[in-house]
Amino acid sequence: MREAIKNLNPADPIEELLFVRALERFVVAELELLDGRAFEQWRDLFTADGVYWAPSRPDQQDPKTELSLFYDDREIMDTRIRRLRHPRVHAQIPYSRTTHVVSSFVVDARDDQAGTVAFHCAFVMHEFRPELEQRAFAGRYDYRLVTQGGRYRIKWKKATAINCDAMHYPISTPL
Amino acid sequence: MTSHTIQTLRELVKQDRVHRDVYEDPDIFELEMERVFGRSWVFVGHESQVKNPGDYFCSWVGLQPVVMARHSDGKVHVFHNRCSHRGVRVVNEVQGNAKLLRCMFHGWTYHTNGELAGVTQPEGYPKGYTFDPVQMGMPRVARQESYHGFVFIALDPNVPSFREYFKGVLAALDDLVAYSPENEVEVTGGILRYGYPGNWKFQTDNACDMYHVVYSHESSSSGKAQYVRRTGDKSGIPFFDDQGKILTFDASGLWAFDGGHGWEGPVVQSHGNSAKWYRDYEERLKKSHGPERAHQILTRKRHNTIFWPSVVIQDLNMHIRWVRPIAVDKTEVIILPIKLRGAPEEMFEESIRMLNTTNSAASITQADDVEAFIRGHAGNRTRNGNPWILLARGHADSEVSDPAYDRGVKSFGSSEMLLRKQYQAWVHLMTA
Repeated sequence: MREAIKNLNPADPIEELLFVRALERFVVAELELLDGRAFEQWRDLFTADGVYWAPSRPDQQDPKTELSLFYDDREIMDTRIRRLRHPRVHAQIPYSRTTHVVSSFVVDARDDQAGTVAFHCAFVMHEFRPELEQRAFAGRYDYRLVTQGGRYRIKWKKATAINCDAMHYPISTPL
Repeated sequence: MTSHTIQTLRELVKQDRVHRDVYEDPDIFELEMERVFGRSWVFVGHESQVKNPGDYFCSWVGLQPVVMARHSDGKVHVFHNRCSHRGVRVVNEVQGNAKLLRCMFHGWTYHTNGELAGVTQPEGYPKGYTFDPVQMGMPRVARQESYHGFVFIALDPNVPSFREYFKGVLAALDDLVAYSPENEVEVTGGILRYGYPGNWKFQTDNACDMYHVVYSHESSSSGKAQYVRRTGDKSGIPFFDDQGKILTFDASGLWAFDGGHGWEGPVVQSHGNSAKWYRDYEERLKKSHGPERAHQILTRKRHNTIFWPSVVIQDLNMHIRWVRPIAVDKTEVIILPIKLRGAPEEMFEESIRMLNTTNSAASITQADDVEAFIRGHAGNRTRNGNPWILLARGHADSEVSDPAYDRGVKSFGSSEMLLRKQYQAWVHLMTA
């Protein structure tokens, strides 16, 4: 059972609030980059060996031996972004407008000495592409952040949509 | 009630063109489910998806749900997914393992070969009412064949034999399994599904279309070529020559067979891949087949092969692409990876990594094909006196028979010969 259910009174509630708020600010800023189509800046939030993963099944364990919606290392991220910037990216003319909303932040592991943190939160992404019906994805983000050069970078981000194993029309931007 | 007759159906397909109604008319869609999917050999799965007795996989033929299951006798059986009592679909999980298949409605049970196992409260039925296990089972499909583990079925008992139906195109499956050092493939590594609001034939038309590649997929290229598909490859699929002129893959060739089957020639050769896993793989292949045969095997002969109307198998990043019609304007496409037994694990991991980029809903290539399908559906709304979709590229004079394959016909890569073959097959099945 999670700590919050066992114990309603954390040792230092203010410190916890500020810590979670800092993570929330980071994620909100990250998602603003996606919603603002600043894909290169979004990519630069990842470490050089960072990975963005969107599984194809809610309880998928291994992205190496099982197919995923996204399993983007830096090389694939670069290819994907180069495509999104191409003048003939047909599937994104006109491009998708998105709004990402996050909530319910929970810290899973924290090492202040090393500057690392693992946490998860709930997300909703609404997407509208002219002519197509507006659609929504919902699910959970899992993050592993590390500190580099005095700021957080994303080592690993997993976006698990509750309907990730359903049939989808093309998804051109990260969930 | 359809408004179509044999005569009106024939008029929809000319030698070098096809009428838009073939893609847009709901009555034609209903007829296709009955006559195209009901009268041909259709892919339902691979035996490796049901390895152990009791394993089942929910499949379909056109709109009809079927089950592929391995029974306690070790054999793979395909039967309709329908309870003989009130017609309810019995198996509902995509895949799993069960001793008995139990209908949720009134608890009737079936064996994994489809035979009836038990009727609940049988005393309630009139005296002398018999429940023959086969007659009252989940009905077997009329015909079933397995080739290198690929399972095809036919709902019509009068279809030509499996080997006659697929003729020379079966060479593609022979060559596919030969890539395995153990001469065996398995289907594993999950499932991807993507869809689009458009007719199923947009996808089957596109499967071996080498004409569209450099135009539709330009955004996934940079410089002279598309992105590198596998670690160690020198280049991606080349799009432009040294002078910057667009390549059309014409030299790769295109092969077609009666029935609408065929393949496109290779778009890239494996030789020259510098990755360690690739050299390991070559060594294993040489060890099991000898250097000469290994060299033959590694000389790619094709890219995508279509076993019309249901399935496409790709040779480069090996996978099954399976087309599932849902409605006249809605289609689902299923991707199943193919793993070579006895090949290095990294080779499969490379394949998975690239399939995510080429064939998931979030693909950086497939998304542009799907965009073309959506716009095709929109364009078909036009009423300007020209209802025809032109398939004339390479018509007739480019087509030469290729004695290397039983009744195979060859044309240049960007020819539309294979589409013409498909619509000849379509008319034949729809009007038979």
